Amino acid sequence: MDWQLLLGQATANGLVVGLLYLLMAVGFTLVFGVMRMVNFAHGEFYMLGAFAAYTLVVKLSLPFLLAVALSVVLAIVFGSLVEWLVLKPFRKDELNGMIATIGLAMILQNVALLTFGPDPVSLPPIATGASTVLGVTVANSRLYVVGFALAVLLLLYAFLRHSPVGRGLRAVVEDADIAAIHGVRARIYYPLGFGIGIGLAAIAGALMAPLFSVSPFMGQTPLLKAFMVVILGGLGSIPGAAVAGLCLGLLESYSTLFMSSSTADMLIFILVVVGMLAFPRGLIGRGEA
Amino acid sequence: MKAHAPQFLAAALLGGLALGASAQETLKIGALVTLSGPGAAWGQAMKNAAELAADKVNAAGGLDVAGRKYKVEIVAYDDKYQAGEAVTVANRLVFEDKVKYLIGPTGSAPTLAVQPITEKNQVLTSTLGFTNKALSPDKPFSFRPVITTYEIADPQIAWLVKQHGVKKAGGLFPNDESGQVIARDLEAAYKRAGGELSAKEFFERERVDFVPLLTRMLARGIDTIELDGNSPGTAGLIAKQARELGFKGKIVRTGGPATAEIVNVAGKEVSEGMMVHAVLDASQPAMQEYIASYTAKYKVAPNGFSPSYYDFTNMLFESMRRAGTVSDSAKVAQELGKLSNFEGVLGKLSWTGKESYGTDHQLAVPFYVAEIRNGVEVVRARCTVAEGCK
Repeated sequence: MDWQLLLGQATANGLVVGLLYLLMAVGFTLVFGVMRMVNFAHGEFYMLGAFAAYTLVVKLSLPFLLAVALSVVLAIVFGSLVEWLVLKPFRKDELNGMIATIGLAMILQNVALLTFGPDPVSLPPIATGASTVLGVTVANSRLYVVGFALAVLLLLYAFLRHSPVGRGLRAVVEDADIAAIHGVRARIYYPLGFGIGIGLAAIAGALMAPLFSVSPFMGQTPLLKAFMVVILGGLGSIPGAAVAGLCLGLLESYSTLFMSSSTADMLIFILVVVGMLAFPRGLIGRGEA
Repeated sequence: MKAHAPQFLAAALLGGLALGASAQETLKIGALVTLSGPGAAWGQAMKNAAELAADKVNAAGGLDVAGRKYKVEIVAYDDKYQAGEAVTVANRLVFEDKVKYLIGPTGSAPTLAVQPITEKNQVLTSTLGFTNKALSPDKPFSFRPVITTYEIADPQIAWLVKQHGVKKAGGLFPNDESGQVIARDLEAAYKRAGGELSAKEFFERERVDFVPLLTRMLARGIDTIELDGNSPGTAGLIAKQARELGFKGKIVRTGGPATAEIVNVAGKEVSEGMMVHAVLDASQPAMQEYIASYTAKYKVAPNGFSPSYYDFTNMLFESMRRAGTVSDSAKVAQELGKLSNFEGVLGKLSWTGKESYGTDHQLAVPFYVAEIRNGVEVVRARCTVAEGCK
């Protein structure tokens, strides 16, 4: 075995998966930051994003990029509505909010089950073939996904950093009361923050749909991973989520390289526990204990 | 109820005499199958196959046994793929509906759970369950009309090793009982054939990203990926991701009909040239006819196990004719076991299994190795349990 090549391959695999975790986790932590709510329905919005992409591409024969864009717009609108209609009473109410989102997750799963059936469906690949750089082979479809994901993250960064709405959102994340005193209207920012958060989950779902298969229960594993990433990175901290997401992706990839997958799964949980003991407030950030 | 039985019989007899040969009696055949939940596709196909066989014999004026005509009725109950539920409906079928013949059960656990009831009451069963405990010399009323991984793995792998030069195969398997058992069986089968299952990995069923596992497996220099043991969708994902990683070797699946799903998930390009186990040869006229009549009645294509049950129901009818009775199930079971070279839609059918199970109650159904060409199976080798693949 050529260890150098294998390590390179594992790094590439890890970065691709890490980026998926990152997209999921940033949305998750944004929702928490804005609403102080642990959104257990986050994985279901990932699933809905994937199904939206599936419907638009396979049933309506739209081009993939347009389908992703439309899925995200749909997710933001749908998410804002859900926040406004369902979750409004639970803002800042962590425990009840958590239960409400678990209920929401079950409802969404079963609606998807009734609509699309239990069998996994799949999308046509967005690109064929693979590229080999320095002996490391990465499928072209994955390269596209990496490109899109990076573009989305850059856009999000620019939006949060430089647009007035983004600054308002960050102000709410920092301290909702002070933000309100300064004229930031929470009435708008709560649904918007939730909408953007789950919009990110929907993008992740839509981007991953052609790589993996699409089924009603596909959101559970990414939710678990996003949750780990967010806790590890510091709940509510976006840079923390970014670092932890990539770390978890790489860690998974390397550990699967050296040991059987079941052992690797266990090891990752152990490392996360160790990480939390070493950095109780998260890798980067303020940590919400 | 019991006290009335002789009178009822006498009345029926008198009635039969009075009305002459045109009068029909009803022969009930139970279907203890899974009609809801995960195994529903299998159970539906079993029930539908039996109904088609019954339709055919009814259309011809009924089943003619010892000069009497019987109208065959299939009484179906759902066992939900659960042992407990299966026992409940088995009791209902045996003691209330008083059936002597069962299509099913669908699963292994339900089969083992109902056998104490069916064997004791001399009720003939026809399981789809793959467990090797389903058949044994002390279960004279249990038959299996479908072949299991145990029967098909060896001949197919031997053929692949010989004809396609498979030497080092690798496989990914779900990390549960069925995955572990299949991995163990395949490893032994490859060894017997002169090849090797040199890399095997287990994963949790919800996994969708196989790239890390495949990277590790490909690094061991395997020439073939074995997909047996995985659900159809997962098999498609593994094939797709292996090709994306630049794997140029063969991809095979030596068990479980899944071609349509694999092509759907992996695409035609990836599935091109894949060697798969096929349960039926759709180019045979008898099979085409069966598929056409099934599709006409049920609006869906028959599942791969369905023809087995159509043939089994017809074999059951034939053994009743030979036994000259529909009520003496012991005699019918004996005649059924004696049938050989029965002409079914699957081809010539005989019983086997003495070596593996101690009793010849395993139907030796012919099967095939097919190559996927442009998304459809093209048969490359015809196999039988006795003679292997050619």
